Amino acid sequence: MKVRSKKNNDLRLLADELVETGLKKGADEIEVTIYDGRQFEVGVRLGQIETLVEADSKYCSIRVFKEKRKASFSTSDLSRPALYSLVEKAIKRAGLTQPDQLAGLPERPHYKVDELSLKLSDPALAELKPEQKINLALETEKIGLADRRITNSFGASFLTNELKTILVSSNGFNGEYGETYASLSLGLQAGQGDQLVEDYWFSSARHLKDLASPREVANEAVSRTVRQLNSRKVKTQTVPVIFEPLMTSWLLAFLFQCVSGQAVYQKASFLADRLGDRVGDKALRVIDDGLLPGKLGSKPFDAEGVPAQTTPVIDSGSLKNFLCDTYAGRKLGLASTGNADENGIGPNNFYLQPGSVSPEQIISSTRKGLLLTRTIGHGLNPVTGDISRGAFGLWIEDGQIAFPVSGITVSGNLGEILNSIEMTGSDLNFYSQFSGPTIKVAEMTVAGL
Amino acid sequence: MSKQLVTDSVCQDPFQLSTSLLKKVLMTALSRGGDFADLFLEYRTSLSVLMEEDLIKETDETLTLGLGIRVIKGDRTGYAYSNDLSQEKLLEAARSAAAIALAGRAHPPDFQFRPLRIKNQAGRVKKLATASPLQGKLRLVKRAYQSALNFDPAVKKVQVAYGESTQQVWILNSEGLSVKDCRPMIRLTVHSLAEKRGHWESGYYGGGGRVGLEFFKSSLTPEAIAKESAREACLLLEAVDPPAGQWPVILSPGHSGVLVHEAVGHLLEADFIRKKTSIFYDRLGQKVASGQITIYDDPTIPGFRGSYNIDDEGTLPEKTLLVEAGILKEFLQDKLSARLMGQKANGHGRREDFTNWPLPRMSNTYIAPGAYPAEEIVQSVKKGFYVSHLSGGQVEDSGQFTFSVTLGFLVENGRLTRPVKQATLIGTNLDILQKVEMVGSDLDFGLQTATCGKEGQSVPVNDGCPTMKVAGLIIGGKS
Repeated sequence: MKVRSKKNNDLRLLADELVETGLKKGADEIEVTIYDGRQFEVGVRLGQIETLVEADSKYCSIRVFKEKRKASFSTSDLSRPALYSLVEKAIKRAGLTQPDQLAGLPERPHYKVDELSLKLSDPALAELKPEQKINLALETEKIGLADRRITNSFGASFLTNELKTILVSSNGFNGEYGETYASLSLGLQAGQGDQLVEDYWFSSARHLKDLASPREVANEAVSRTVRQLNSRKVKTQTVPVIFEPLMTSWLLAFLFQCVSGQAVYQKASFLADRLGDRVGDKALRVIDDGLLPGKLGSKPFDAEGVPAQTTPVIDSGSLKNFLCDTYAGRKLGLASTGNADENGIGPNNFYLQPGSVSPEQIISSTRKGLLLTRTIGHGLNPVTGDISRGAFGLWIEDGQIAFPVSGITVSGNLGEILNSIEMTGSDLNFYSQFSGPTIKVAEMTVAGL
Repeated sequence: MSKQLVTDSVCQDPFQLSTSLLKKVLMTALSRGGDFADLFLEYRTSLSVLMEEDLIKETDETLTLGLGIRVIKGDRTGYAYSNDLSQEKLLEAARSAAAIALAGRAHPPDFQFRPLRIKNQAGRVKKLATASPLQGKLRLVKRAYQSALNFDPAVKKVQVAYGESTQQVWILNSEGLSVKDCRPMIRLTVHSLAEKRGHWESGYYGGGGRVGLEFFKSSLTPEAIAKESAREACLLLEAVDPPAGQWPVILSPGHSGVLVHEAVGHLLEADFIRKKTSIFYDRLGQKVASGQITIYDDPTIPGFRGSYNIDDEGTLPEKTLLVEAGILKEFLQDKLSARLMGQKANGHGRREDFTNWPLPRMSNTYIAPGAYPAEEIVQSVKKGFYVSHLSGGQVEDSGQFTFSVTLGFLVENGRLTRPVKQATLIGTNLDILQKVEMVGSDLDFGLQTATCGKEGQSVPVNDGCPTMKVAGLIIGGKS
């Protein structure tokens, strides 16, 4: 343990040194981020270990500003000669780009979020032995394969990550935090010949105690796979569509794209001119929250050192906020919402407020419709909000699941969907950074025969 | 025409590691009883430039340096990697990877490295981008930006991205292989947004490949890329919603190549075959497609994005005949699958970077030209759908696939009429392969900007096809 903390201290000193170096070499502002990660992953298939990965890796990413011009770099070579030369080159490159009055680091924040209150790390994960991790994967697959309807396995995997993030800026910010992550997953195939079906299930969490058991993961993977057997096609028609939680998450990821400040100032979102407008039913509430203890998207500060916060995105059906980093915020005359990530703007925990009905009640309320369980393909256009995807699901007749459907597409428009969510389930689970409960959308086009 | 690409001054040895140390690392990797071990050393420099809102907003450089160590025992793979190339760290990583073999201790057989010299054929470079000054690249970006804006008053926002990289690899293995390669790549893409009466649409186009900066002078100018991007956005302003239901479909040459990539290519990757998850696993030598269909995967096409001189396991690549006149002939192999299946590796083991182990992957995949002139194919359709631009696709091992069409046209009485926006095509691959009724003579390739993802790893690819007619496909649409 001692050795490790000394190492992190070395990285912190390196970050300080690079900030100093950048300023000395002529940068007006500089921000240094160093990541120090440790990864373990085991993949098993048909009862045998298939892959085993173990690695430590570090990298450093830097932004410099000079006379309102920006340049950046990242490197996995952390030797001083490489880093110094990259800093120098970045300052030179900044001189060749054009000045942008809004470019620059955020103001030094006035407060800090207490890292410990967020419960991002689980020491129990670091203590888990490789054999225990391998056994978790083996056990999960074994339970899945025990079901006679399952004909093949894509394998089970268990992975853990430990990551330390260090951020030092010339605006006076310095901070660091550690986080852990674990995930257990299983992919299965059922059926034969031209009638193959596949699906998977997973659990991911920061804390071992929040991770689903091998039995839970396996049972869900089995039932998700076999429920698609003997699927039919349906005729092209317009029907109510029920989104399972994972599908709601997928829809929310698309909504996130459309409320990201970058898409908004680029006019690459159909919601760009709608701030303050009613965009959905009065009950609709979507939140981005970086402060939920133990959740996957929580963090004390974002990639620019802006403290995490709770941002209502849609409240009482009105579009309340766009999600911004410092630059997008300045472009739009808004404050940063603490959503800067390595590649621009990213989610914290972006979720749809759950309602009070159960998924079963939603299904039984539907005379005829599609329970959407999976989609494939691309087919999302943030400029128009149009959605068109290959789809899998369960057909509902008279409030009951009648038969599985595949070989169909669903299409609709996100703007219209937000206005036509008829029911919102109570089954919110924070499976990923995007999460939502079961929802029922009044109508979408299902294209088939 | 292919030029010796890179001068020694650009591709100096960036690793500074002795072969005796690397041999020691390999021996350590095999010290627990592994059958085979290899090392993948990577040094990659990349640069990207972004222009939007009339400003060159940002330039970004990435330096990737590291080593991946793989140990194979039977069908098990142990993998470790490190961005720290010190002796201590390399040996530690080798011990981590070695653990897969599970045996207590072993004495691996001694071997000597036999350096393999390769001939450059993949790169077509006169002026290596990485070695050229930034100013010239900024000029390319500004030219593209301006001409997209000038295309039509409806074009309101433009985003231009330029990217380049040079990846140097050194691959060594316990069979004595030692081979180095230097792989350049560039790309220029233009995203245009057009607006009319409050309605916005977007267009996209790009080009590049394993080529030098001269490519944008002679083969495809920034202006030509910009124009195509802006044209698509403007056409979409006039476009109607797609017709939903089952229709005869004509696939445009080049752009529709993503179809062969998704519907056929992925399911011929040997890992899916040996695991029997692909529907093709027991179909070798059988008829799987219309007799008009012949498919190749060719990593040796000079200048193409999917090409390479050696694959990421050091195997010399081969132009691979996958399907001949509808008969399934061969799979896409990496070393592991080839050995387990008792077949020959054909140079399709690829990986994204040193943190990943190789998988069987495609390179440049295409359907060979057929007999029909393109006009005859269009004229043969009374009422149908013409697929012009596709943004991508996805396939499952069951053969179920989807394609996203960004721009299409209605076909009425043998002519293309109204533009159509945002449609999804869906089907199963065996079905569509049987239903190909006409294959055109006009083979073309898609944009040299495509990236293929599999198990979290992205690699550059290209694909192509001639004009083709498919009897009936389901189109997802609103009307």
